[in-house]
Amino acid sequence: MLFEIAEPGASRTKEACAVVALGIDLGTTNSLVAVVQADEAGSGAPRCLSIDEGSALLPSVVHYASGSSDTQPLVGRAARRLLASSPRDTLASVKRFMGKSGSDAETRRLTSYEFAKPLPAQSGASSDDSGSVRFLLSDGREVTPVEASAEILRTLKSRAEEALGQSVKQAVITVPAYFDDAQRQATKDAGRLAGLDVLRLLNEPTAAALAYGLDKKSQGTFAVYDLGGGTFDVSILELKDGVFEVKSVGGDSALGGDDFDRALATHLLAQADAARSSAPSKAGSDPKRTRAAIVAAREIKEKLSNAQLLLSDDPTVNAESLTREEAERVLDVGLVVSLDDTQPGEQQFRPPILRSAAPALRVTMANFESLVRPLVERTGAACKRALEDAGVRAPSGLGKDGGRKLDGVILVGGSTRLPLVRRYVAEIFGLEALRDLNPDEVVALGAAVQADLLTAETPQHDVLLLDVTPLSLGLETMGGLAEKLIQRNTTIPASAGQEFTTFADGQNGMDIHVVQGERELVQDCRSLARFTLSGIPPLPAGMARVRVEFRVDADGILSVSAREMFTGVSQSIVVKPAHGLTDDEVERMLLSSIENAQQDLDARMLIDARVEAQRIQRATEKQLEENGDLLEASERKQIDEAVARLTAAGAGQAHRPILDAIEKLDRQSKEFAERIMNRGIERALKGHSVDEFHGQIGAHAKKALGVE
Amino acid sequence: MNGQAACWSCGAAHRVDAPLCEACGKVQPVPPHRPGEARTSDKFAMLALPRSFDLDDEALSTAFRALSRKLHPDRFARATPQERRFALEQTTRLNDAHRTLRTPAKRAEHLLELRGIHLAGERESAHQLPVQQPLQMSMEFLEEMMEEREALLEAKHGGGGAEAIAKLAAAMELKQATTLARVGEMLRGLDAPGAASIESVAEQIARLRYYERYLDEAHGRGAEG
Repeated sequence: MLFEIAEPGASRTKEACAVVALGIDLGTTNSLVAVVQADEAGSGAPRCLSIDEGSALLPSVVHYASGSSDTQPLVGRAARRLLASSPRDTLASVKRFMGKSGSDAETRRLTSYEFAKPLPAQSGASSDDSGSVRFLLSDGREVTPVEASAEILRTLKSRAEEALGQSVKQAVITVPAYFDDAQRQATKDAGRLAGLDVLRLLNEPTAAALAYGLDKKSQGTFAVYDLGGGTFDVSILELKDGVFEVKSVGGDSALGGDDFDRALATHLLAQADAARSSAPSKAGSDPKRTRAAIVAAREIKEKLSNAQLLLSDDPTVNAESLTREEAERVLDVGLVVSLDDTQPGEQQFRPPILRSAAPALRVTMANFESLVRPLVERTGAACKRALEDAGVRAPSGLGKDGGRKLDGVILVGGSTRLPLVRRYVAEIFGLEALRDLNPDEVVALGAAVQADLLTAETPQHDVLLLDVTPLSLGLETMGGLAEKLIQRNTTIPASAGQEFTTFADGQNGMDIHVVQGERELVQDCRSLARFTLSGIPPLPAGMARVRVEFRVDADGILSVSAREMFTGVSQSIVVKPAHGLTDDEVERMLLSSIENAQQDLDARMLIDARVEAQRIQRATEKQLEENGDLLEASERKQIDEAVARLTAAGAGQAHRPILDAIEKLDRQSKEFAERIMNRGIERALKGHSVDEFHGQIGAHAKKALGVE
Repeated sequence: MNGQAACWSCGAAHRVDAPLCEACGKVQPVPPHRPGEARTSDKFAMLALPRSFDLDDEALSTAFRALSRKLHPDRFARATPQERRFALEQTTRLNDAHRTLRTPAKRAEHLLELRGIHLAGERESAHQLPVQQPLQMSMEFLEEMMEEREALLEAKHGGGGAEAIAKLAAAMELKQATTLARVGEMLRGLDAPGAASIESVAEQIARLRYYERYLDEAHGRGAEG
């Protein structure tokens, strides 16, 4: 508003550089905003804005004052200070709930244990599982994660405007690379709700690499290991000729520093109960105590890590927070915390204090690391897979044999401050990580560069980002199998098409069920959308041809179309998934895909074989009915027997006997098929239908053998 | 798809599936797919690379990056919606071409496609094109693969352990490499007198799919540890 009354001459210069687009890192724990502006030095270096009490970090915490729906919620440090005293109305880590339904594992895990009442429970015992999860505030108001995130974004926007002295409309917002479509859509919605034009959702590791690549002006292949408050991502990128090409991504959208805090908090509560020697309190029955344990756990984690970083002269540590002497003592004897000795109504949590005495609740670095080590080690499998997918080999030997060499590892996210995490990363990659840029800021800096690229007439940096789809996209086919059309780690924009056919004679419609995930069975993948293609002309099974096309644009948004080739009947949709998950699909998808590869394969082969057996049986029976007169009685008997054997095999649980039976029937009926074909030619009918029928047996037997 | 088209912007003539106008540098629309016509467009030509099985990986990457910088929608953030659409379509095509050409087996399949031979799988619409006889693999080969797969399953379930699986995978990789080398030789000599029949090349290429699938399974297991 101020600029509209500026002098004409001044406003013209303003216009030339006025449109600034923000780079926003909407984090689980903290959020940041950065911009790229032409500067005198001409470097065009991105910088983070100071937005919360002099800091670039705005804690991602929203406090809703009880009973005053008119007042603006508090966001940032002001809200975080109320976490302990007002646990129910102060929302933290909402990012973990983005795109989740009220029945998601994430909510159950929290409700069932530490956040039971402290974090507002989902809207009562609502049976509506399809909608978004809702936080129930103490005054009865309900808030969705999208709304709470929008409050954070609104605060970021207005504080950035204050810092820049101009109004801002456009932004690039970062998301974990492993976010699925629902989570991305929810993030985009939050941006819109906050009055932002979201130019692009940028994957966090990609943003970090962008910032690093520009900073170091380097070329090569890098791994970005991003362990934040609530999510873990790993990406392999190649930087060359001004192109940042993402080769692969992997991760776990439900693993982060919060889980470390919880592991330690659980331990603290158990210790406190044991020390009190009274009847152990029910876990989660006292929200303030649970909250106090989590806050204490986080402080212990940070203090221990800082002490270690300080002593190893790490450049990113805040040296003022701790003296060397204190740091040495912390590592020597650990930290002490008390959860219980407070009066009701008073502040029930006291920060950990340093003491050399050793009462019950003492936590040393060794205690802490033994509690979180299993969680940290969960990141290893994703790193290995990402390297293999990218065809890259780390100096440690991890990854693809003979693959391109990995040149560096970039650490991103607050949880990579943990000494244990750093040791683990160095061990699995065989490289010491780059840490010149502040791991808290690097994602926002990269987002600002991309925002500049997408809006400025002459961007400050001449680079191009090529990103990939994090998860495979496919369709449900007969027998509940997922047929992948676009594989994970495909560079976007991308498209793929495949032809499908009908299973039954005269089938006049086809259900198109779009799924996302790596598993072989549809029930294990994430359902994105369903629609029906109707108006397929009545044809014998296997004759109709439906071409399904998937298109993923540069934003990662999927659209699907289906077209029947005879009539040209077509349907198409842009996939906009509902926000709700009906159960813990994501978790299962991410964690069990590898473990279950063999089980999947067996199940897939059995289903494939059964579907094929049924199809061939039907086709054979039909031909026997129509053309049975072409056979001698003995020949007929042989075919009948082969069909019977196939029926028997189909009832079993193993795929191999079914395949054998299909093959036998295939051979047994070869002569028969030739006669039918000859008859067909004679009658000048569509002779090739039988030819095709026979070809299919061969083709499908091959498919059952494991070949598409 | 060898016809000519005029640039929508400057009117200069260019090859119908050229991504950019050589005269003015504007991104061109992807030519619509006409019914009855094969979908195959020359992926080598798109990247201005020689149509050859012996493609240099580095040359392919370099060409891909250079063309991405000219075609990607991000480079058209301030352009008209029409140009943005062209950029999206051409980049989608470019990504597809890159994906196909960087894998030797897929590259070989594409070389066959350009000669009108399509392996089963990604089939063209049956009623619009001459019906193609699906490739019949020899019985010996199928039996050999069945035995190989049995050995793999046994190693997995029978507790042969990672070592046994790695051994099988290594043997299969050797087969794959040998076949790939043979395919390369056959493709190189395809137009010479006395060359292998195109069907026999197709059969060899089809074998690569079996090997690939087998290795996926072997390695899928390896990822568990």
